[in-house]
Amino acid sequence: MRERFTAWCFAAPAVLLMAVILILPIVIAAGLSLTNYSLGNDGFDWTGLKNYDRIVSRSSFQKMFTATFTYVGVVVPLSVGLGLGAALMINSLKRFGDFYKTIYFLPVMAALLAMAIVWEFTLHPTIGLINETLSLACGSWLESFAFFERGCVRNFPLWLGDKHYAIWTVAFIGIWQGFGFTMVLYLAGLTSIPRELYHAAAMDGAKTGWDRFRLVTWPMLGPTTVFVVTIASIRSFQVFDTVEAFYPQGGGPSKSVYVMMFAIFEKGIQQNLIGVGSAVTVIFLTFVLFLTLVQRWLVERRVHYA
Amino acid sequence: MASIVLSSIAKSFGPTVVLKSIELSIRPGEFLTLVGPSGCGKSTLLRILAGLEQQSAGDVLIGGEVVNKVRAADRNLAMVFQSYALYPHMSVLQNMMTPLTLRDLTFAERLPLLGPAMARGKYRALHAQAVETAKVLQIEALLDRKPGQLSGGQRQRAALGRAMVRKPVAFLMDEPLSNLDAALRVHMRSELAQLHRRLETTFVYVTHDQAEALTMSDRMAVMMSGEILQLDSPDRIYDDPQDLRVATFVGSPKINCLPAEVDGEGRITSLGLALERRVGERPRAPTLAIRPEQLRLSKGPAEVGQGLGATITHKENLGAEVYLHAALADGAVPVILRADPEEAFGLSIGSRVELLPRPDRALLFDDAGRRLSYLADAEVKAA
Repeated sequence: MRERFTAWCFAAPAVLLMAVILILPIVIAAGLSLTNYSLGNDGFDWTGLKNYDRIVSRSSFQKMFTATFTYVGVVVPLSVGLGLGAALMINSLKRFGDFYKTIYFLPVMAALLAMAIVWEFTLHPTIGLINETLSLACGSWLESFAFFERGCVRNFPLWLGDKHYAIWTVAFIGIWQGFGFTMVLYLAGLTSIPRELYHAAAMDGAKTGWDRFRLVTWPMLGPTTVFVVTIASIRSFQVFDTVEAFYPQGGGPSKSVYVMMFAIFEKGIQQNLIGVGSAVTVIFLTFVLFLTLVQRWLVERRVHYA
Repeated sequence: MASIVLSSIAKSFGPTVVLKSIELSIRPGEFLTLVGPSGCGKSTLLRILAGLEQQSAGDVLIGGEVVNKVRAADRNLAMVFQSYALYPHMSVLQNMMTPLTLRDLTFAERLPLLGPAMARGKYRALHAQAVETAKVLQIEALLDRKPGQLSGGQRQRAALGRAMVRKPVAFLMDEPLSNLDAALRVHMRSELAQLHRRLETTFVYVTHDQAEALTMSDRMAVMMSGEILQLDSPDRIYDDPQDLRVATFVGSPKINCLPAEVDGEGRITSLGLALERRVGERPRAPTLAIRPEQLRLSKGPAEVGQGLGATITHKENLGAEVYLHAALADGAVPVILRADPEEAFGLSIGSRVELLPRPDRALLFDDAGRRLSYLADAEVKAA
């Protein structure tokens, strides 16, 4: 009895902090998502699942899901793939490896909000570097492509302002910013592959780089890949700062870049609709939790070698 | 079966010279051991032979053909690594099938799912080969397990199986037993030797353990600082070393080294004891080396005063024999001798004893470590 009490005393600070800082806010958010509470109001009414119903049925929220999943679906595979490719290439270098590492890692370290402003200039429809460069091709054989023909006759894409391009442009910036991070994780994973496995593969008759990759590198990077994909997914679900910097007025051209984090911010903070904001937050948390569970399951079931 | 020849192989990493012009000819079907202390270049030599490392100079010939430019994958050699280097994500069966699939299947046939469906017959044949090899090694029951679920000895067998399944020109083994516990190592020693007799294939075996080299090999090459000091049968290496470094490296406990003197007529004395042998030259500061089992305690009053006086400093009782550590010449020269338990029974630390070497088995080396041969009796008389 005494021992149990002592044990609880030792655990109490950690349990208390965890409850207050982590668990309680989630519970409160879940509770608020069932109300019509606004900050500053004296009271609130229980509205049941009405907030969730709105999210599922309203078109702006459907656009939110489209934007979020498009972003995640584009950014995750590409930043993981590019990160792996860059890591493999850097790993094969004898010199200048650190140089490339630094270059690819720079966007990760830079403040995305500041970078967003630079991208805004670069992508400017008329004076931006991108469209200026593209217009150089006017008059050349490149004009036989429909894209250039249209661009030269009328104008090149508005990139950030066109609802057909906006989400892809934002996703591109997300990849540019994120793949350095996956590269670093893959580089760490690559250093932990025993060199003897490559020698064994060579002795077993693995002649091409692809053979070695299939036989040793890719399977041995399995645990790293699970981790990288999870981290990249969570980071992509969390995308906010580029959207806020480009479209402070809400979600881009016809809400095509209305990602989840921005929806939480807009509803909960800007419009002071705490109930709706909380509901989106709960849905967001569910996705992240689901991803984490999948990762745990994969780590335990499939890729654990030891 | 093919012979393997290493011809004036040299290797340096930057300014560090690892191998200095190695000449080695490996006979078809023999068990050749490269033995030496760590850092002597034995593993590098094996890896050059395997094609995993490029030599700085010299040629590697397999079956009479120069294979300097041939990749490791195309040399048809198999290697067993110290860490076994099994693919951790594959079962033992998949590990053993890997060399076969890489050799016998096309790129398309190796694709996952699609490949097995396309070339079912081929896969079945490879599977049969792997199972057959597993039977030889008695690991059929382990075929479905992953390396992580195996003990050290079982992993060792799986690695051997992966090497054997392809029926290579030669097996290269890089300290394959050093990760096993002592009892298993002794057991695997005899098993490897039996396997060699059964397969009748060339084995090139690298070890730092002179006991492994002595027990298993047909011939052993003692290497030190990038050179082969002596290449011979284990018996000859042990009994007739041509270099003091070979004599001290091979044999456990170590050979005893005593300071000696040679007079103008080639007569040898060591610590006041005259040896009934002569040499044909007069080296400066020679060393007399005597194996522990070639030293004995003097027996009975007839031999009193004929041997080397010594004090027992330590007793190592191994049951069947006792190693006595003794100090000669007032403690300046330590020696070890092997004694029967009955002989050693009455002795304790601090006891005074007299030691007698077997003169025909004591080896004389000059100050450069070169072996000096004794003159035959006829030559002594003639002199």
